Amino acid sequence: MPSESHTPIEPTLAELSAYLDHELDAGAQARVAEHVAGCNRCKARLDGLRQTAYAIRGLPMETPPRSFTVPQRSPRRSWAPVAGWVGSLAAATVLVVFGVTHLNFGAGPAATTANRSVSGGLAAAPAQPVQPYGAAAPLYQSETQASVAKAITPVNSKTAIDPTNSSRSLTIGTDAHAYAANGVLRLHVATAGLSTNEASTVRIFLVRDQGQGGYAIRLAPATSAPGYPLHYDAAYAIPQMPLPSPVAGNYVLQVEIQLSDGSALIAWLPLTITS
Amino acid sequence: MDDRDLVGLARRGDREAFGQLIVQYQVPLYNMALRMVGAPDDAADIAQEAFLRAWEKIRTLRDAPFKSWLFQIAANLCYDHFRRGRRYGMMPDDDQGAKIVSLGIATPDPQERAEANERNRLVRDSIAGLDHDMRMAIILRDVNGMSYEEMAAVLRVPLGTVKSRIARARSAVQERLQQHPDLFPMSTPTEDAHAE
Repeated sequence: MPSESHTPIEPTLAELSAYLDHELDAGAQARVAEHVAGCNRCKARLDGLRQTAYAIRGLPMETPPRSFTVPQRSPRRSWAPVAGWVGSLAAATVLVVFGVTHLNFGAGPAATTANRSVSGGLAAAPAQPVQPYGAAAPLYQSETQASVAKAITPVNSKTAIDPTNSSRSLTIGTDAHAYAANGVLRLHVATAGLSTNEASTVRIFLVRDQGQGGYAIRLAPATSAPGYPLHYDAAYAIPQMPLPSPVAGNYVLQVEIQLSDGSALIAWLPLTITS
Repeated sequence: MDDRDLVGLARRGDREAFGQLIVQYQVPLYNMALRMVGAPDDAADIAQEAFLRAWEKIRTLRDAPFKSWLFQIAANLCYDHFRRGRRYGMMPDDDQGAKIVSLGIATPDPQERAEANERNRLVRDSIAGLDHDMRMAIILRDVNGMSYEEMAAVLRVPLGTVKSRIARARSAVQERLQQHPDLFPMSTPTEDAHAE
């Protein structure tokens, strides 16, 4: 084995750290590799940096406590007066909504209604499939009136209340917090306080945690005229979902209910897929 | 449709396209802010404000990558947060609270779970103990997984500065974690000059 005296000059801390990230040019990368291979001290320094980086990367990604929104008006022109409101209680209260968010995307069925706000939720018009994303059809689905609903027993569930009308709520539930990559995800979506005149399309997405390379797939075909109150049960085979590898990771199940006034109720639920 | 396509649509006022950008970046942006400022509410305020500013100025974005541009806005807001020592807005209480998305299956062993929680706490505290520049560097790299080039664009500093800050930050965090060898049994340099 080469001795340290025969190996290239000892790398600096910055070089070792950049070597770990493959951020050196090819020559430097090779030089550091050759040195580390022959130097226990630098190998230990590199291992320490690597273990530290792994410890930080192992911190769980946390989901935001609320949806993020932008105003309904066009950028630049209409927002100039609002830009000065940074830090304003009024602006924050109007623009930021917890758990449930109103949105209005011009391309959707709300195109002819007054714009109210835009949410961070995925939103594709029913007539326009979500082109950037794949889709998965359910193994079975039932969408019924509450009186005849055959619901799963959710063990992972969240209910979001409409901040503008506390009698309205949207509940998402799944039959587990974590699923095997070859498993079946069963979900239940229910609304309360919404009539068929007040709500229309349901959209369901499985969104991959951004920290692991974000993307989204649509879990159900748009239902053109679901009945309300909605009780929707469906099962999806995870292997049939067009999920890029590695499939294992953190996801958020996101459900949107399009409302007749052009806004939408959105709720989300974290879940995990394991290998 | 990639970021460039979505930005092109958003610049023409397409809120749906901007909504997709929000969905793509809300978790990493929020986590960057969270690791920088610590408090979930403050982090959410910063992420919210970053999206607002990005939407407001989207028409000024030409060829620069949206991701770097967005994170640059958020990074500046984090620094503003420290400088001004104030929040960006008061938010209503969230009855659902932030949910931690666990990695893998939660261990059924309470002891192991407790140790994992303690390890995470020590890592978070170690990061929080760094100065703002080093903290930002290690977060963008090891939390957000950015390349050095992306980081240089976000922080508007040379690549060499990025490299140096990451290295010093990792070294400082390592020193802190090594004070807990029971939880972080790390490799230590030896006097033996040769590998096996």
